[in-house]
Amino acid sequence: MSALQRLKPRHAGLALLALLLSGCASFSQDGGFGVVSPAVQSRTGAETRLLRNEDDQRALGKLIADKLAQELSADDAVQIALLNNRGLQARYWELGIAEADLVQAGRLQNPGFSFKRSHGGGELEIERTFTFNLVNLITAPLAQRIEGRRFEQTKLTVAEDAIKLATETRRAYYEAVAAEQGVEYSRQIAAAADASAELAERMRKAGNWSKFDLAREQAFYAEAMAEVARAGKASTASREKLTRLMGLWGADTGFKLPQRLPELPASAAELQDVEQGALRNRLDIQAATLETQHTASSLGLNKATRFINVLELGVVRERKGEERMRGYELSLEIPLFDWGSSRVARAEAVYMQSANRLAETAVQARSEARESYLDYRSSYDVAKHYRDVVIPLRKQLSDETLLRYNGMLLSVFELLADSREQTAAVKSYIEALKDFWVAHATLEAATGTRLNNAPAAAPAPQKQAPAHDHSNHGAHQ
Amino acid sequence: MTNRRSFLTGAALIGAGMVSRAGAASLPEAPLQPAAATAVPPPPPTGRPFNPVVTLNGWSLPWRMKDNVKEFHLVAEPVVREIAPGMFANLWGYNGQTPGPTIEVVEGDRVRIFVTNKLPENTSVHWHGQILPNGMDGVSGVTQPAIPPGKTFVYEFVAKHAGTFMYHPHADEMAQMAMGMMGFWVTHPKDPALHAVDRDFVFLLSAYDIEPGSYTPKINTMLDFNLWTFNSRAFPAIDPMVVRKGDRVRIRAGNLTMTNHPIHLHGHTFEVTGTDGGWVKPAARWPEVTTDIAVGQMRAIEFIADNPGDWAFHCHKSHHTMNAMGHDVPTMIGVDHRGVAEKINKLVPGYMVMGEKGGSMGGMQMPIPENTLPMMTGTGQYGEIEMGGMFTLLKVRENQARGNYSDPGWYKHPQGSVAREWTGELPPPSTAPNAPATKAAAPLKVKRNAPHRH
Ligand SMILES: [Cu+2]
Repeated sequence: MSALQRLKPRHAGLALLALLLSGCASFSQDGGFGVVSPAVQSRTGAETRLLRNEDDQRALGKLIADKLAQELSADDAVQIALLNNRGLQARYWELGIAEADLVQAGRLQNPGFSFKRSHGGGELEIERTFTFNLVNLITAPLAQRIEGRRFEQTKLTVAEDAIKLATETRRAYYEAVAAEQGVEYSRQIAAAADASAELAERMRKAGNWSKFDLAREQAFYAEAMAEVARAGKASTASREKLTRLMGLWGADTGFKLPQRLPELPASAAELQDVEQGALRNRLDIQAATLETQHTASSLGLNKATRFINVLELGVVRERKGEERMRGYELSLEIPLFDWGSSRVARAEAVYMQSANRLAETAVQARSEARESYLDYRSSYDVAKHYRDVVIPLRKQLSDETLLRYNGMLLSVFELLADSREQTAAVKSYIEALKDFWVAHATLEAATGTRLNNAPAAAPAPQKQAPAHDHSNHGAHQ
Repeated sequence: MTNRRSFLTGAALIGAGMVSRAGAASLPEAPLQPAAATAVPPPPPTGRPFNPVVTLNGWSLPWRMKDNVKEFHLVAEPVVREIAPGMFANLWGYNGQTPGPTIEVVEGDRVRIFVTNKLPENTSVHWHGQILPNGMDGVSGVTQPAIPPGKTFVYEFVAKHAGTFMYHPHADEMAQMAMGMMGFWVTHPKDPALHAVDRDFVFLLSAYDIEPGSYTPKINTMLDFNLWTFNSRAFPAIDPMVVRKGDRVRIRAGNLTMTNHPIHLHGHTFEVTGTDGGWVKPAARWPEVTTDIAVGQMRAIEFIADNPGDWAFHCHKSHHTMNAMGHDVPTMIGVDHRGVAEKINKLVPGYMVMGEKGGSMGGMQMPIPENTLPMMTGTGQYGEIEMGGMFTLLKVRENQARGNYSDPGWYKHPQGSVAREWTGELPPPSTAPNAPATKAAAPLKVKRNAPHRH
């Protein structure tokens, strides 16, 4: 019977310590959502939650039903996606896994107790052993610290994923609305071409036009119809993308989108220092910072405890396309041959790697912030140019065309051709407006902030395609 | 009427330069005409007597006598001509108008004409039809150096032959004439009784291509003009030629457009009595109701206005009695618009069907581009006149006082002398004998008498 393994009164204190230690790590009330939810909400304007049970599902079902009962706004779409996208929910459960790991790391291995009774030769031997993993006891605080950081990092990356989904949903929303509008305007162009072709047929019947003239008008119409079909295809694709992001299926796919994109805001947002803002607010920067701190402390740890191998910490990094993994391994070594210097050198290298990756992330974030801000500003300018310059000029052209028609200076075919061109210009404006709102969403994501001039929840109906003024018929002699 | 403006004040001077004060001091006045109404000239105040002509929507240039020489002063300058009320054109002309003032002299007069160039480019004046010293002929580069901007040249010659003439530049020819540089010239016979008429009207034919909505002619247009004018005026803004019944009337016209114009008078036959070469001997005169005036030619026609009424007088090229119109507009006659018109109206709310029954606007008045004359316009006592361009009326009245050119209004037709609707019985429709049965060819749907859709 080994004295070592026997439970001795003086070991009781150690066991108590272990119990105390394990008491430090328990499951949190919110499973980490206390950080994720506000981070997501402040950056997307929508709430997110982890669906835990059937009650949650039911509540979500009701929320979706309410939102889908009316015209869907961009914020609604984001809200639904944040709650109902199953990929995101799956990702949320990583929080639970990380937290469980954390709690697990804080708990000591259960002490072992064994009882052995043997008898032979009239002698009865009873051996009782109480085993306790001492190594575990030593490494537990380290493990807990490591898992704690990992949990923090998971919160950040999960929140970041939620924000990415929100951005993607917002973009898809504007694409889908614009695509539906595009179909409408393509139809208008086709209608003008249709009228032209029909009138051309009447011209032919009356003997005023040749087959050549008729074919030309019919060709316009045929092409316009092809364009309607093409616009319809684009509309279906963009709507389906939005549907997927919102995690909808079945009857829910019949959601109603507004007929028009939100109006262009009165002015574009002025951001003073987009780069600083991005560095301050972006979660990927925060996650990378945490990672670097993490490797820094690993380095310190390595230096302090040369015999405890903490190298694996942070070594297994997230890789795109592969499963996300991040793990560690602890082992205690007896320093017979290796005094740990190579391990320290490696930890230093890992730290430097991490520091550089943080710098890279920062450079990228700065660049993205600059690019998306410039893109946002110029998208605003282009849309504004269409709204304030191109469309009014087109309208003026149409007015003048009508005056020329009135004066028998141009024919009705020029009138219809102008109508086609005018509608095409409005279509280009819709495209520019969509680009602006997409740029708006991208800028929000790149700077990690919400812009104050977000579209109104219920967009005001946009001005119809400028029309000829019918009111000023009068004498002109 | 004529606004006399002292050339010396110089206040209204425009152009590249000023005439020097020393030089200007010896020049006669260059009067300015701001209005486009017909200005009937007074009998000549100085020099030999003559019967002045009446320039349609124009005026005659005053002169001064100096040492027995008639001195005129022409100022070539940019002008704004009112082609018809509501339509103004940026043109070039003389002394405030285009055409420039009519110069009237008497056979044998020694004439000195000062020409000040206030155009931005060189000019010259050719005295079309005059027999004069070669160096006075005004062909820049050939007979004289061109008159540079800001300079004044002087021409001097004797008006040898009585007749009908004109003046125009022979410098940057196509631009300057396309911009309206031209004027009339009449040399009266020494004996006022010779060739005497009661009324003597003069005008020049000119054409402009002014894009609807613009003001300046396209000077590179060769044939496709859209404004056909008498003295740079288009109907309904050409003054009528008002005469008394029994008057002997002379009309002199010169053609400075790029095509011929068959000028046609209703209600009378006339004779061509003069060309720019002189008077036609009575035995050689042709009776006509239409005389073709070729490019660069002048014609004088004469007739006795013995037929009272409002008689059309116009170019017989039908497009020339239209104002600005689309020359590439397809014919819509007979095109059924039912259904499709509503479609178009949805796309173009201001649209209304036009042309399905012809070119007439049917009394519609619709807004058209700024500074653009309606294609056909003017209303007579019986309705729309549906003409524009080179069209006016000869108004013959019983009691139009001598020297009175004011418009007497519409002719009052004697009872029963106006074409009227036949309300009696109509014979059954008949077909030509032996005509083959017409095959129902294209399904031609001509909608007649359909209400005009708006
Ligand atoms: Cu003509």
